[in-house]
Amino acid sequence: MQTIMAASSLKDSDLGRLGLETPISRIESELKKLWENDEAKTRASLINLAIYTEDSSVLADDNALLDRVAAEHSCRALLILALPEAQPPRARAWIQALCRPYHGRQAVCSEQISFVLEGGDATQVQNIVFAHLNSDLPLVVWWQADITKHFHERFYSRIDTLIIDSARWSDPAPQFDALLAALGEETARFDVRDLAWTRSHLMRTALAGCFQDANALQNLSKLRKLTITHLKGQRMTALLLAAWINRRLDMSLELELIEKDTGPALQRLILEGEGVRGDVRRDCDSSFVHVCTSCGQHEHKELLPADADSDAELVNEQLSRRGGSTLYSGMLPLIRAMLK
Amino acid sequence: MSDLENPFQETLISRHRAEPCTVVIFGATGDLTNRKLIPAFYNIAACGDLPPQFKVVGFARRDKTDEVFRTELEAGNRKNSRQGHNEELWSSFSQCIHYHRSEFEDLDGYKSLRVLLDEFDKERGAPANRLFYLASAPEAFKSILEMLRAAGLNEGVGGKWARVVCEKPFGKDLASARALNHVVAETFEEKDTYRIDHYLGKETAQNIMVLRFANALFEPNWNSRYIDHVQITCAENLGMEGGRGGYYDTAGALRDMVQNHLFQLLSLVAMEPPTDLSADSVRDEKVKVIRALRPLIGPEAVGKNVIRAQYTAGSVDGVPRVGYRQEDRVNPQSNTEPYVALRLFIDTWRWQGVPFYIRVGKQLPKKATEISVHFKKPPQVPFATNNLIKNSENTLVIRIQPDEGIALRILCKQPGQAMNMQQVKMDFRYSSSFGKASPEAYERLLLDAMAGDATLFARRDEVENAWKFIDELEKAWHKTDNPPPMREYPAGSWGPKEADDLLRQDGREWRLL
Repeated sequence: MQTIMAASSLKDSDLGRLGLETPISRIESELKKLWENDEAKTRASLINLAIYTEDSSVLADDNALLDRVAAEHSCRALLILALPEAQPPRARAWIQALCRPYHGRQAVCSEQISFVLEGGDATQVQNIVFAHLNSDLPLVVWWQADITKHFHERFYSRIDTLIIDSARWSDPAPQFDALLAALGEETARFDVRDLAWTRSHLMRTALAGCFQDANALQNLSKLRKLTITHLKGQRMTALLLAAWINRRLDMSLELELIEKDTGPALQRLILEGEGVRGDVRRDCDSSFVHVCTSCGQHEHKELLPADADSDAELVNEQLSRRGGSTLYSGMLPLIRAMLK
Repeated sequence: MSDLENPFQETLISRHRAEPCTVVIFGATGDLTNRKLIPAFYNIAACGDLPPQFKVVGFARRDKTDEVFRTELEAGNRKNSRQGHNEELWSSFSQCIHYHRSEFEDLDGYKSLRVLLDEFDKERGAPANRLFYLASAPEAFKSILEMLRAAGLNEGVGGKWARVVCEKPFGKDLASARALNHVVAETFEEKDTYRIDHYLGKETAQNIMVLRFANALFEPNWNSRYIDHVQITCAENLGMEGGRGGYYDTAGALRDMVQNHLFQLLSLVAMEPPTDLSADSVRDEKVKVIRALRPLIGPEAVGKNVIRAQYTAGSVDGVPRVGYRQEDRVNPQSNTEPYVALRLFIDTWRWQGVPFYIRVGKQLPKKATEISVHFKKPPQVPFATNNLIKNSENTLVIRIQPDEGIALRILCKQPGQAMNMQQVKMDFRYSSSFGKASPEAYERLLLDAMAGDATLFARRDEVENAWKFIDELEKAWHKTDNPPPMREYPAGSWGPKEADDLLRQDGREWRLL
């Protein structure tokens, strides 16, 4: 689980990147001033996108991520760093515009509000977040902190989409338990988007391409072994992929996970049995995967796009793909069982 | 091919992913292939949506090898690809491109094409679907279709389908469209015939149905009780550049734009809600709109409701432009209209008495295609200033191109002590809200054709009913003793005065774009 950092570990340089420090009570009026200063800017917003973290060391990265995401998905961005154990209690806020060029000259801008909440409790976080949403727009929250702790019903009942990254969880079992419990609540209406699952989207698409081949399809039942090569720290990504493959085949393949120190999150997937083999391989510096299906004398090769690498690209990918996440939600009990 | 289903396809539910397929493009050395079709396939590949084991075969008269063909297409892709050109991807993608030389009328060429397609199937280990894309000059459609049938290529192999995509123009009048449809019908079933209209592939055109049927706000008001009139404008700020005058002078704005693109937009705006989103349910409703258009028969009715015009010398954006009859490859005595404005009525319960004004023209001040829905004014407004505000009715604008989006014009109270009102605009722009560029219309339409979704393609009865209506206008213009006059407008203006009068006599005005 992520370490909770003390308030004193906050770097001035990180805070400086958050924009203009503003008293919380004056956020909206200061934002208004920000827009009035330059009439050439167009303010746009389709969603409220909040990142909640309790790790001050990721503040700068999260701030940069929001800038990249807002370039594709106009939003009101909220960056919340909560440090519940810091004393004395103090709440600070910053505002900034996230702008991108539009038609060469003008700028289209999203707005970002960043909070550093030292001390306080979950209720304080809720109150501050809900007071600064762009009304009537969906609320998407990337919860980067421990889901077993401050992720309470009063908060998640207002969320439309919850983003998590189960690959970051050092002990995934209790996290999944908490997630399943939340999803079981009557008031929970959120979709779950797991970045660890998103990381394998195009790998799964490529695998489907492998077995679109008529010969390979007829030999599916001969498949016995699954080998997944993944980057260190992406074991959950590989496990999710393996769980999905077993579920789709309705069998339990022999699984081998190979961990590498460098390279993309998922590097290779080999599905093999007597006389049939599907191989999806991604080279370190390539944005494509090489797909090779062999079945008896037949061999088929293809080049397909590879999955996104950065968190910003993954979040963008998720925000582009609206609609339910039933495929993933349906797998959660299976994943939980695998982790026992 | 077995009936087994690919269990891993589940991951692809939200995407158009077609089964293995070979696409044959007739007229493959033409501009469309180079500029639109191959870049569209390449971009589909870049998104990972191309069917596995995909092949594309260029079929044309000129002699060239696969390699030369690929090199030519590479240059086109570098220039026209929406997502840029990646060497690694092109190197892999281009291997699926092949060239087949043949005359369109030579049966042997089709027989050898069949051998080539069978070889591809053999490489795949199973038969694949086949899509024949008619991108040649329309005069060649008949020969190509007849030869496909003679060579037995119109039938799918091993349980797979064979389909045809026809580029516009689909006929030049009702008779030629029917003749062409007859040949198509002898070769392919209607369900396997895809008549392309790239306007329907545009994001905003597709959004019309979403806007109407997914928002409770609009549909209850979408009728003659609340809507005063509808305007559809397709303005171009170009003339006959690039040698387009040769073709255009044989067609004109009515046949080139109104019969297909603008009638498709009209149908989407005016149709009843379909019972479901299947291709035929949607197209059933669209064709009802065209059938319900009040016919304009005879020169008097046409003269009262349709204005045709040619541009004279003028300037657009400060650049001098010659008149239509002085354009390259245009007959100096031409009687073809580069501009047309129409007042149409749809005789249905929903639209009784609501005029639909359509205008399309070349050498207008700007390039813009949009639909504007003008709502009626409230029956009684307790604010004295209402009548002082010009165009004070609520207007919903659907911008098709450029700058796709939706705007809603409403009245608001001006700040201050007095009860003064002002128009304000609520504006949604795709490009500012979504940073990512939408797929090109051809990408969507090609994927749909490969995946078997004909919703965004015109059906036979849509095309024929549209021609039936258009033919009466053409007849009044060209086959009567007292045709309505050809009007004039200076290049760079918003069309002839008579087109303005068409609305003024109804107490309305064209929207200023």
